[in-house]
Amino acid sequence: MKESIVIENLTKYYNKFLALDKLSLRIPANENVGLLGPNGAGKSTTLKILCGLIRASSGAAYIDGVNVAEKPEQALSRIGVIVETPEFYSFLTPEETLGYLGRLRGMRGDELKRRIKEVIKLVRLEDWSKVKIEKFSRGMKQRLALAQTLLHDPPVLILDEPGLGLDPRGVVEFREIIEGAGKEKTIFFASHQLVEVSQICNHVAIIDHGRLLAYDSIVELEKKYQSLERAYLELTEAPLE
Amino acid sequence: MSEFEKLRIVTGYEFLKHVRRKRLYVILGLTLVAELAVLILVPVLGDGFPDSVMAMAALLSVGPSLATIGAIFFAGDAIAGEFESKTGFMLFTNPVKRTTLVIGKYLACYGAVLLLVILGYVIVTISLLAIYGTVPIETLSSFGLCLLYTGSVLSVTFFFSAISKGAMGATVITLVFVMVISAIIDSVLMMTGQPHWFLLSTNGDTIATVYGGYELFMEGLGGMEGMPFEFETPSIGLSVLSMVGYLAVGFLLSLWISKRRQLA
Repeated sequence: MKESIVIENLTKYYNKFLALDKLSLRIPANENVGLLGPNGAGKSTTLKILCGLIRASSGAAYIDGVNVAEKPEQALSRIGVIVETPEFYSFLTPEETLGYLGRLRGMRGDELKRRIKEVIKLVRLEDWSKVKIEKFSRGMKQRLALAQTLLHDPPVLILDEPGLGLDPRGVVEFREIIEGAGKEKTIFFASHQLVEVSQICNHVAIIDHGRLLAYDSIVELEKKYQSLERAYLELTEAPLE
Repeated sequence: MSEFEKLRIVTGYEFLKHVRRKRLYVILGLTLVAELAVLILVPVLGDGFPDSVMAMAALLSVGPSLATIGAIFFAGDAIAGEFESKTGFMLFTNPVKRTTLVIGKYLACYGAVLLLVILGYVIVTISLLAIYGTVPIETLSSFGLCLLYTGSVLSVTFFFSAISKGAMGATVITLVFVMVISAIIDSVLMMTGQPHWFLLSTNGDTIATVYGGYELFMEGLGGMEGMPFEFETPSIGLSVLSMVGYLAVGFLLSLWISKRRQLA
């Protein structure tokens, strides 16, 4: 089976702090995988390495077979990303922002205009599409972030807490959009919300202290630990050698 | 899509940023005020305009010189801002080389300052034509030196922006470096008769001294009588060399650092 994301022995030190400890993970194409772990477990570090924002101390990360460190532009062309709380240029409107990012990804003319309209409608920012982002709330920026993630219709989505800052209605809408997208895309989704993860993903990877503790289907983990919550709690409280 | 096409897109949107920012219009206003101050105060405080068109041209070059300092305010947040405000998470996850992004930002900043510099020289030209009926050919050299000085100030600012955590820090460090540290060393070396052509503040002076050295510039302000020491005007050629050095080294270092900098 083709693998969209491959992480091999990924190790990352921040000075002397070990954030990732030989983490390995293989995510098949069109699979939706949740990345779970407590604060400081290494989730964001893993995603940032996959997005080429930081370099691994050792090991390698691949998107659709392309080494992110060696050919970052080629790897980045395959993904849509939300990392941390998204921020945009306050002097631009959502339409202009999506126009800028779409052009950088090679989109042009009517195709770009049509796609901008589609994704703005999808995240329900129609009434704000020509308003400068400086007036946006955190939730609205989060919606725009999802729009830019889907704009170029990438085969792989890498999402770090995409529901952060959204109101309850926004969380439900987001989940529906991501669920819809996940039917034909690979999603690698870091979150603290177990319910959210279990609704979007069919597999989860649980990490702590930069190490992989479990990587299995939610069904299997529920069989073994009775629930995903218990699996998470039991695995992440175990003392490390 | 070629990297050149991406560069064109980045430059366009970055230029739009400068056009929509208040700071462009603030510096535009300051440039106009500086030119007006020279045009009003020189004849009021002295005996009319200087006899020499070159002296007046040198005095009026204060406007374009001020505009080049605007480069610091445009470029201070060019790189540091992406990391500080976290917009880098949105920008750096696109399939564009960091070097392309930095070059695009540099060109956009240069374009914005160029608008101000051109406006300054339009005022210089119109003023000289109105007062003296002529414009010295050295104005072209002054314009060229101003463009080079803009490039070197931008490169130094980009360097500080690449190594700074925040945009404000980068702007302040560059201002202190260009306006205070370089200027203090410049004054000390000038007073002690030592060469100072390699200092950025000295290089900026060439925009005015190209008309005839410090003596001519001071002539426009009433002469150099009573000065406790003599000013030696640095060679234009050496100053050009120095500016090219600042431009190239600052720019290349900012490219290299930006490429290696991680957004954690």
